Amino acid sequence: MNGSFRGGVHPPDMKSLSRDLPLQEFLAKGDMVFPLSQHIGKPAKAVVKKNDPVLAGQLIAEADGFVSANVYSSCSGKVKAVEKHRTISGQMLECIIIENDGEYTQADTYDTRRDVDGMTVEEITAAVKDAGIVGLGGAGFPTHVKLMPKDSAAIRYVIVNGAECEPYITCNDQLMRSNADEIVEGTAIVLELFPNAEAVIAIEDNKPEAVAAMQQAVTKARNARISVRALHTKYPQGGERSLITAIAGIDFPVASLPADVGCIVDNVGTVYAIQRAVVYGEPLFKHVMTLTGEAVSHPGNYIIRDGTCVAELVEASGGVSDQLKKVLAGGPMMGFALTSLDVPVVKTTNAITMLAADPVEEAEKEMTACLHCGRCTTVCPQGLLPQMMADASEINDLDRYENKLYGLDCIACGSCTYICPAKRPLTQIFKQTKAEILAIKRAAAGGK
Amino acid sequence: MEKLLNISSGPHVRDRWSTRFIMLIVSASLMPAAVLGIAFHGIHSLFVILASVASAVGTEFIFDKITHRPDTWKDGSAIVTGLLLALTLSPNSKLYLPILGSVFAILVVKCFFGGLGRNFLNPALAARCFLLISFGSDMTDFSVKNGVDAVSSATPTADLLAGKAVNVTRMFLGNTNGIIGTSVIALLIGGLFLWAMDIIHGQICFSVLIGFALFVGLFGGQGFDPRFILAHICGGGVVMGAFFMATDYTTSPVSKLGQLIYGILIGVLGGLFRLFGSAADSFSYSIIIANLFTPLIDMYIIPKPFAYRRKAIEARQALAEAGIESRTEEKKTFLGRIPKPVIALAVITLVSGLALSGVYTMTKDTIDEQKRIAKAMSYKAVCPGAEEFEFPGEVEAWITENGGAVYGTDFGRCYINEAVIGKDAAGDTAGYVVSVTTADGNDGNISLSVGVDEDGVVNGIAFTELNETPGMGMLCGEPAFMGQFEGAAVDRFELLKGGGADEEYEIDAISGSTVTSSAVVNAVNAGLDFINNVMKGGE
Ligand code: SF4
Ligand code: SF4
Repeated sequence: MNGSFRGGVHPPDMKSLSRDLPLQEFLAKGDMVFPLSQHIGKPAKAVVKKNDPVLAGQLIAEADGFVSANVYSSCSGKVKAVEKHRTISGQMLECIIIENDGEYTQADTYDTRRDVDGMTVEEITAAVKDAGIVGLGGAGFPTHVKLMPKDSAAIRYVIVNGAECEPYITCNDQLMRSNADEIVEGTAIVLELFPNAEAVIAIEDNKPEAVAAMQQAVTKARNARISVRALHTKYPQGGERSLITAIAGIDFPVASLPADVGCIVDNVGTVYAIQRAVVYGEPLFKHVMTLTGEAVSHPGNYIIRDGTCVAELVEASGGVSDQLKKVLAGGPMMGFALTSLDVPVVKTTNAITMLAADPVEEAEKEMTACLHCGRCTTVCPQGLLPQMMADASEINDLDRYENKLYGLDCIACGSCTYICPAKRPLTQIFKQTKAEILAIKRAAAGGK
Repeated sequence: MEKLLNISSGPHVRDRWSTRFIMLIVSASLMPAAVLGIAFHGIHSLFVILASVASAVGTEFIFDKITHRPDTWKDGSAIVTGLLLALTLSPNSKLYLPILGSVFAILVVKCFFGGLGRNFLNPALAARCFLLISFGSDMTDFSVKNGVDAVSSATPTADLLAGKAVNVTRMFLGNTNGIIGTSVIALLIGGLFLWAMDIIHGQICFSVLIGFALFVGLFGGQGFDPRFILAHICGGGVVMGAFFMATDYTTSPVSKLGQLIYGILIGVLGGLFRLFGSAADSFSYSIIIANLFTPLIDMYIIPKPFAYRRKAIEARQALAEAGIESRTEEKKTFLGRIPKPVIALAVITLVSGLALSGVYTMTKDTIDEQKRIAKAMSYKAVCPGAEEFEFPGEVEAWITENGGAVYGTDFGRCYINEAVIGKDAAGDTAGYVVSVTTADGNDGNISLSVGVDEDGVVNGIAFTELNETPGMGMLCGEPAFMGQFEGAAVDRFELLKGGGADEEYEIDAISGSTVTSSAVVNAVNAGLDFINNVMKGGE
């Protein structure tokens, strides 16, 4: 449609640190830690216990219900413990800890092709569900749930998200350059589920090599239902909603799902995992990730195993400079700051960004009262009024926040905080306020 | 590695622009106006500017220290306030004005209301209004101290309102009587720069200008004559107001629609005050009044997020009809979906419409009265000996019959509007005055009054309508040209296009404006002819 969304910002993309470094596999030697909850939904249930021997690719925790996901071991060895361990979010969560024997003996070779053409819709979604695939781009929503909307005939667009709009991150760029054919095959598999859909592989135009590689693979596959679209480089182009606005030309409230407006959005990494799972029966236990930032001696794009300790990867890559100020899981716009490096990489970790300077700390020194300059409103991709939302939140007028200003429609993209000359922590306020309102709602619902 | 990592919630990057940076850019954009102001008005202007900025920053500094607030004086906003205030002052201002004004702006208008972003009036403007009210005569002392013609103290806007000829080119440059920041071109450069940098909102500055231009065009009595409208825009702080005052972030609405309404409100109020109000520097008041409306506008005009706007909802409904079930579509009636902004808009439009028409009817009589006075003044000017003027019945009858037709055969397209006999205190005839309009001006009609004394000596001419090319035809309104008619005992003047007039009846044309010059001479001749052949001939 119009090819772009409204608003958005242009943070320095910092991708040159790692954009041309090819993917390399990293095999850790130390213990591997697998949180039972690496996805949205109920945590998985452990199916192994202490001292059980395990192989790479073996199921160690089982999905608990429909909205949940299986967890597989990524190494061979034996179960050391099932206990609480610090995770990327900083919380202590139940984890399976496996003593890694360093052999990486696999349960299967995952190299024989299955007959995909003969597979039914149910078989495909079952393969995705078994593989424990979750959305690798963002929050980790179980993919099989996404692939089973109420009415699959109503899906018009399957959007394969290769936008990678976060600064610093380049692993999907590399994945598209090296595994374009597999991604196109994965896309074709997803299309099998949606008879009336066309697929668009969306890539920001700052990745010409990836666009070319995908284009070539699409041409080779001769699938008329798949096309590649180079999108304007602008954050948050890779946000689900921004993509839908750009490609399907439709805006919808946060309370609705993309499927409600006929769209399914999957990250390229997820689509690649779907291809591996459906064609080769390989469960999800490794994925691509970028190690980057000014404080890392040797940035790189990795194929990383789930459960790998961040500290071990950083050490093995060549260490960090003593300038290190801040470590982020993910990019600087939406990533989390880590309290400690002794945390495991999980399915959704697409980057570890190590910053030598902390712009937040510097911004805090320059903070002033709101100028009412309106920049936040201009950049908000949702069309919200961040300045008024922050004011409402400040005086705790939650009703105005929610009903007048539609504050719950904030997707926490961070554009407003990024642009604010007064350096107000807008997004941070919104995340908190949203949590507060939801907590009150839950309490009210529970109290009945 | 054993070192504390910084923790905070994302995003972890920030744009380089800070409050201070924006304030510095705004200050920089005022520099052309300040520099030209100093160049045109002399070094005292520099002292006014310095005093204003220093006391603004100083006040905030002291306030910060006394109240133990964080150092907000460093954010640069006080510099902007000080600069803006200084630029709206007269170059003759005694230094107590900028100092008092800045203290008032920062302390009372800004700090007492909570500092940056909390004030509900524009500090610089509020301070200017405060000074105008408290020290009116000092504030409006625009007399030229070091210029050659040390007499005139009227600003071009005041002249314009008095129906006198003004020089738009000079106004545009700023080389006229008026405030320090009077250079329109310099303000435009600064303002457009801020707009291009996305610092000020185009919705505001352009709607102010458009609203003002429309109002002046509709009610100014001269139609949409670009020269007339431009002259109004170039004077009386309109450009400064549109680009630098109205666009103040804190005191303008948040939404684009709100900003449009606010801008038009300022433009219309500004036009209203300008045309029908008493003070020439009334533009400040219109902005201050609009500032008061800002919270109201913001209360009612809250744009919905994209997903809730009509277009998006309709697009989703279309999808739903095409077979997709939509789970969360709220089923609101047409009325329930849009009313707030529309109602607010309707109300605001209605109220301002009513207010306007009310004010217009109230002032209409005064306008006619003013026009009458202007005409009377021109009569007096060309017939100084008269105490009162008599409109003889036979002349009135003649005009009723022939006034609509071109007068005579060799005066071009001249029309006689009125002709009166001036009577002195004793009731004796002091002279004759004819009001003539010629349609041969370069840019529309020219109207003038010609006065002749009892002995047939021309007392002089006075323009009541002149809209010729600024700097060219407009020069007809200058004494150098008008003076040529005075004291000539002739009944017909002749225009010399090449210059060198030495006979009484010879008039030097304004070079480059022979059309205007000859139209004026023809009109004067028509007037003389009318006096000799109709008025006196009737005796
Ligand atoms: S964080 Fe929320 S309010 Fe801010 S720009 Fe993003 S969506 Fe808009
Ligand atoms: S960007 Fe910051 S300073 Fe500007 S209006 Fe928004 S919150 Fe206020």
